[in-house]
Amino acid sequence: MNPVPVFAFTCPVKTNSGNKALEHLPVELAGLNACRPLIITSAKAVGRKAIRTLQNAFGDSGMTLGLFDGVTKTADLGLIEHLKNICLGKKYDAIIALGGYDIVDAAKVLNLAVSLKMADAHKLSPQTPVLRHLSPLVVVPTAAASGLETSKFAHFSRRIYSSEYLAPNLVVIDPRLTRAADGKTIAATGLAALGRAVESHISADANPFRDAYSFAAIRFVKENLPAAVNKPADRKASLAILNAASMSGCAASEANSARLHKLGQVFYDMQHIPTGVIMGMCLPHVLGDYLQEGVNDLAALLLPLVGDDEFSRTPAAKRADAALAVLGRFLADLYGALGKDLPRNLREAGVPGYIMEDILDVLGKDNEGPYLRTVVERIAG
Amino acid sequence: MSIVKDIPSAKKPFKRAYVGIFLWFTGRAIQAAAKVDKEVKKEFDNLPDDFTFSLGCLPNGPSMVIGKRNGAVKYLGGNPGQHKVHVRLAIKSVDAAFLILSFQESTALATTRNRLITDGEVPYALAVIRILDIVEVYLLPKIIAGLAVKRYPKQWSAGRKLGGRIGIYTRTILGI
Repeated sequence: MNPVPVFAFTCPVKTNSGNKALEHLPVELAGLNACRPLIITSAKAVGRKAIRTLQNAFGDSGMTLGLFDGVTKTADLGLIEHLKNICLGKKYDAIIALGGYDIVDAAKVLNLAVSLKMADAHKLSPQTPVLRHLSPLVVVPTAAASGLETSKFAHFSRRIYSSEYLAPNLVVIDPRLTRAADGKTIAATGLAALGRAVESHISADANPFRDAYSFAAIRFVKENLPAAVNKPADRKASLAILNAASMSGCAASEANSARLHKLGQVFYDMQHIPTGVIMGMCLPHVLGDYLQEGVNDLAALLLPLVGDDEFSRTPAAKRADAALAVLGRFLADLYGALGKDLPRNLREAGVPGYIMEDILDVLGKDNEGPYLRTVVERIAG
Repeated sequence: MSIVKDIPSAKKPFKRAYVGIFLWFTGRAIQAAAKVDKEVKKEFDNLPDDFTFSLGCLPNGPSMVIGKRNGAVKYLGGNPGQHKVHVRLAIKSVDAAFLILSFQESTALATTRNRLITDGEVPYALAVIRILDIVEVYLLPKIIAGLAVKRYPKQWSAGRKLGGRIGIYTRTILGI
């Protein structure tokens, strides 16, 4: 491995993962000087059982919890303003986000509004300066996660908030909450983690610290996603996928190249299609283009994908092609296992034609817009 | 009506009672073992004369406190706040304590799973762990003690086990 002369890496996220990890929450919160947390979640998205499991973890702690279980995909700054006033009035001193996607994004933006004591949360914008640590934020992801839960980003109301202070202080991954209801849900989570980790791992500005996260995330997905998809109730496999998602978010926070992320996010924002579904469709196309451009080190993908023996048997000049071939077979097996449950193109995903123009318009505003539009055209089906 | 509900944390009376009784009995058993078993006595002899340690659950117990006073080892009750404690072994929650004390997880496994906090000198803490392991071997049948300790001692004679068990159980029950 070549040493990188100059780089910066920050990952402020502590991870507690494994059997009964949730039961450590009261002590962890006490370590963050918090004793009155507010749980932000969506009963519809995560289910009542998951909320009860989280509440039970506080048993015997003597804490009083606040619970808001009404986060929706259309949550806006009006809701944040309302919750902020309640938080400040009832003196909640930490936020726990139970779930993924919009729930965590709403919790991050709420934490921003509460910590900065904004007079009016409607005035929050991505340009709002965040110059200090915010109140403690804990994320408890469930099977439907985007991977961005651990990142410094919050996609809220079609705006992207970015600050290293937005990242959670603690992520708790408990196998009681990571088991998926179906194979598609965990496949989408795994593919989102894979997409982000792959892009981070091959980016031209990679550094050894970020590589450690992306390497482990890729290997976890490669080794555990087939088992998690075939048996969504598999505790070990689903826990590994959520760990991979968590690591991919840490890696993605620092990565500059994010074509897959942008494509996945725009379809989530406009059609609520899980980001992993779109990233899975785009992965072969985008990686093929990276190979043609020759800027990114695709050969670096082979080691996490196949392990030491096969990596060392493959000549250096053929490693990039071999990595793409392995990824291609991996995706084909995944699509084969899920059949029609996991769409292979936008037509199968049910994206209506009249929305496509709007999506292409949004992508057109990106600095890589023309390229991203070509990818969308290739996966249209 | 507010969109945020306040929910007081539930109680876990069964687990709390189980852990409390277990710690109470183990505390008295340590006091007894210091008189019955030479290895435990030797471990305590190597500790300072006013040495006190506690083992309990966060945030509010239950706990047990053991202290060495004038060369004798005493079970000092369940309130660590009343004593100057040299080593504090704290289990992060009553659920984690239940896992350990119902032998679903060994002490070593629980430590690797980040369930224990040690506050104090590490050599003293290791001595406490060795004492706890010996006492567990005396108190529990082999099949259960094998789950609780890292390595079940193979070199102990049958006489030591039987005599020790009779002595420790008798003294524990009588509190002497």
